[in-house]
Order: sequence, then structure tokens, then C-alpha cells
Amino acid sequence: MIFFDRNLLNLQGEMKHSEDLSQIIEAKFAEQTEEFAAGQCFVALETGRAGRQNYDRFIADLCRTHLKSPHILAFLFSVSPPAAASNLRHNLLEELGLDDDGGISHPAMLLELASAAGFDRSARRELERSAQEELRRIICDPIMFGTLKEIGLSVLLETIAFEWMLSRLAGRMGRFLAAHRGLSGEDLRWFAHHSEVDIRHAEEGLEAVADYIVFYGFDRTDAEEILDVTFRENVFTKRYFGEMALARETGVFG
Amino acid sequence: MRVAGGKIYVLGIPFVEAFAHSCKNRRFSDSFVVQLTAEDGTVGYGEGLARPYVTGETVAFSVDFVKNELFPAVVRKDFSPIKTGIDPVEALREVDESLHCRNDPAGIVPNAARAAVELALIDCLLQSRKLSLGAVLPPKRNFVTYSGAITGGSVERAVRHARHFRLFGVNQLKIKIGGEGDVDLVGAIRRAVGEGVSLRVDANGAFSVRAAIELAKRLKPYRIDAFEQPVPPGDPYDLARVRDSSPIPVMADESLVTLTDASELIESSACDLFNLRISKCGGLRQTLAIARLAERAGIGRQIGCQVGETAILSAAGRHLAAFSEGVDFVEGSYGDLLLTEDVGRTAVKFGYGGRAPVLRGVGLGVKVRCEVLEKYASSVIDLKKELVKYA
Repeated sequence: MIFFDRNLLNLQGEMKHSEDLSQIIEAKFAEQTEEFAAGQCFVALETGRAGRQNYDRFIADLCRTHLKSPHILAFLFSVSPPAAASNLRHNLLEELGLDDDGGISHPAMLLELASAAGFDRSARRELERSAQEELRRIICDPIMFGTLKEIGLSVLLETIAFEWMLSRLAGRMGRFLAAHRGLSGEDLRWFAHHSEVDIRHAEEGLEAVADYIVFYGFDRTDAEEILDVTFRENVFTKRYFGEMALARETGVFG
Repeated sequence: MRVAGGKIYVLGIPFVEAFAHSCKNRRFSDSFVVQLTAEDGTVGYGEGLARPYVTGETVAFSVDFVKNELFPAVVRKDFSPIKTGIDPVEALREVDESLHCRNDPAGIVPNAARAAVELALIDCLLQSRKLSLGAVLPPKRNFVTYSGAITGGSVERAVRHARHFRLFGVNQLKIKIGGEGDVDLVGAIRRAVGEGVSLRVDANGAFSVRAAIELAKRLKPYRIDAFEQPVPPGDPYDLARVRDSSPIPVMADESLVTLTDASELIESSACDLFNLRISKCGGLRQTLAIARLAERAGIGRQIGCQVGETAILSAAGRHLAAFSEGVDFVEGSYGDLLLTEDVGRTAVKFGYGGRAPVLRGVGLGVKVRCEVLEKYASSVIDLKKELVKYA
């Protein structure tokens, strides 16, 4: 009985520790999202001060970032703890257009967006090639962490961060593309989908991170350091606007 | 093989975070890349980083030196294939000697410029024969283990970086010092990383002889494995005086630029270790020659790097480190840990534990992405056009 009670106490301690961490993680997501939305690139697109080529580059970078999302989710599903597996599997099937609602896969939605924006077949093929190249780079790059446990947490954090950000900003992105790039609601359904669905995904995602941290027995300091390393740059600015924009917006250049 | 054309890319690749030490606070890499094209179409790349406080070179000087002196010396010259299976200092003689055809300008040692052109020539010559630099510098090991570097700044930031390196399994760290809070900084890092990590300090010549000796004594409790360039370069006997009284082994860096410097440092018993950096020392062959002198004199060696170097210089450093016997520390190959984007198609950076494999690809072993060079180039100089212009 004493043994059982001690376990219960430990479990409560772990839950408390992961709850605190969840707050720190969410604060980091909020900080990165706020910084991204206040950055000169986002503001220029939203206020219509950007040129047509800037909108097109944004669409290209967004597609490049998310075209291989099913692959990333499949990796996360493979390392997910039992408590988070069901939600991750659902997200993966949804991403592939294979969930109960049926419908179109998210990469297909992105390619439709690109097509509506005037990217011809060869330009769309180039988007797919560059997304594949980015995935190749991730696979081939030396691994900085000691085990899959740390890699999984870092990838999970970045993935959930995007869902958290999109649940807050996808609607605004869709609106500025409609207003200043003349795209229709049908063309922009990827944004509509993410602004609605990702509110749920983001909440589930934070729970998935907490489950992951508890299941794999992370030391709090190590988990915080992985958070720090994962978000040492603004991941949204880097992925959606490129390295040069990131450098400009963080004052490295100009 | 004859060189038919060439370009210089003057780069400005932003850093992920600013890198500071006692001489400079950098926010982006100011490396320059030399691209040489042979008559058979083979393309080779080399890289240099000009450091006014080390060799006297600025980027503008290096670019002019390549354009006006080095490129005219190598273009159209018929280079013999680089021999393999012989002493590498001999194998690289023709390439190196082709770059010593003019007098150096007063007060400046054009080593970064020489290194960039030498590496581009070596890359080109080896690529044309589908050979790896490893054929000239046969690796003695399959992996090279790198140290991490902790830049100047607040104690909090330095500790944060030290923890990142601990998370990455890196067991050797170099700390940039040069201020009043150095003892507190080193103490905080020692506490953060524990006893199992080797620590070194680098002052980039920030102290007087007396201050350096005093600091070395105060740092002794933190078990520091090397005190790099405690005093400014110039008089090797200053370094020797620090060494005589320092409880920490002394390493020469800015004091060691040429073979003559190496001989003088050895003669004056100025240091326990040399920091060998390819760009600083004027290329691979000069660095190998200095390393040989050090080995004969029983001086320890660190294969160092230039902050902001891309995959090109890192690859050359990897080959040198894998080839060299008895190297105490290796630095570099930070890749996108420091640069927001590196130039190689496949990353040359180290992985967990600071470990990185020997490179097996042809030439230096880096497939350079030209589009990345173009993206970050503040200027691109066509060397052949310049040659025609001034002919």
C-alpha cells in the first residue's frame, strides 16, 4: 500500500512538472507567434504594402513548409506515447484526407492554392522538389541529440507550434491573400481549415507534448533546453519568409 | 590542368546569434569564396576569412589581392596532377609555390587570400581526377571530435550555450574571455557542465602579461586545459613570460601566422600548444608545414577554425584533423549551428558528441550550392573579366 501511494505521489509530481512546462511551452509559442505577426514581412503582406511577387514567394514558402507534413506526422505517430497516439493518428489521417470526413489531403489543398495563384505545372513540380529536398536535408543532416527521444520532442514542439500559430493567424493570412492577391475562398481553404481545426489541434498538441515528456521521463532541465534549442530562431519567420528575412527582422542585417 | 576562369563571392551569411569575443562582435559571416573553373569545366571552391587583427587583411584587401596577384599567377598555368601516396607537403608544393610569386605588401600577410585560392586549386585538381583530398591526406581515424565554442556576452547567455553543448554531448568547450567577469563566467560554466567536460579559455590577446598570469592563477581551480592567446601578438617573449608563470598551458593563436612565427615561438619556448587554422596560416600546405615544426618541437596542436567559415573551409579542416597525429583539440564545422544557412548540399557540421565522419567525396568533399553563394553574396567578382580589363 505504501508502495502504491509513493507511485501515486510520483505520478502527481510528474503531472505537475509537465503542467508547468506546458505553460512555459505555450508562452514560447505565443512569443514566437507575436514576433512573427509583428515582423515587417507579415505586416507588409497584411497591409497590402507588399508586391505581388512577395505574396507569391510567401505562398511558395508556405507550400514548401507544409507539403511534407504527412511525413512529419507519420514520424511523430511512430514515436508517440500511448496517450497521444490516437490524436496523432487522427491528425495524420486528416492530413492525408483519409479521416472519417473524407475529402482532400492537405498537400493537395496547398497545390490547389499554388495553382490558383498562377504557379504552372513546372512551378508546382519545383515546389514539390524543394519540399522533398528539405526533407532529404533533415534526414541527412548530422543529429545533434543523443537519442530519438530528444529528436521526437524537438519535432513535436515545432509541429505543435505551427498548429498553435495557425489557429491564431491562418484566418488573417487567408484574408490578406484574398484582399491583396485576389484569391477566392475555395482557393484558400487550407487557411480556413487550419484556422478552425488547429484550435483543437493546438490544445491537443500541448497535451501530447505533456504526455510525451512524462512518458519518456524527461528531466525538466533537458526538456527546457530542447525547447530553447528548437526555438532559438523564430521558426515561423524562417520557414515562411526565409533566412534573410529572419536575419533582417532580428536585426542581424539592416 | 589549366585554370580558365574564376569568381569571388563576398559573403554575408547571417549568424543564428551574434558571436562575440574581445576583438570583434560578429553578426554575420564575412567569408569570401573563390571559385575556379578549369579548361575541362571542372569547378573547385576555396574559402578565406580576412582578419585585420591577425594577418592585417581586410575583405577588400583579400579580394584585390586575389584579383590582382593570385588569379593572374594561376590562370593558364599548367598544373600537374596532385600526387598521392607521397608526403603531402611535397604533393601540394606546386600549388602552394604558385601563390608566392609576388612580394607581400608591407604589414599584411595575405594568408586568407592564399588559402582561398590554394583550396580552390586543390579542389579543382582533385575533382578533375575524381580523387578525394583524403587520398593526399590519408585519414588516421574515421571520425573527428570537435569542441564547442562559447562566445562573449552575459554569464546567463554563456551558460545557456554551455547547456546546449552539454545536451549535444559535446565534451570539450572553449570559452571566449577578455573582461572583468571572466572568473565568474568560467566558474558558472564549470558548474553548469560539470566536471567531465574539458574547458579552455581564449582571450584573443586581451591582457597584459601581468594580468594574464594573475587571471591564469585565479582560473586554476576550474581545471582549464589551455589558455589561448592571453597577450597580444608581437613579442613571443611576452607569451613566454606568461607561460613561465601560468598554471594553465598556453596556446599561441594570433601570434602564429607564418612559418617564421612558428620557429620564433619554438625558439623562445613561448607556448605549449599551437592553434593551426588553414585560413590564418595561408592554406593547407603552410599549415601542414607549421604542424610538422610543432610536432618535432613537442608542441601540442589544435586544429582551429575561423568563426563564420562555411562548409568549404570546414571540410578542409576535417581532412587536416583526420590526417594529423597527436592533435589535442579540433574546432569548427559549426554549420547551421552558427550560420542561418550553409553552402554545402549535405551538411558538414558535427553531430552528437561533437563527432563528424571523415569526408569521402571528391575534392574537398563538399557539393557547393551555387544558389546559396549567390543568395548571400554582397558582391560577385568575375576574375576573368577583371583580368581582361587590366591586361
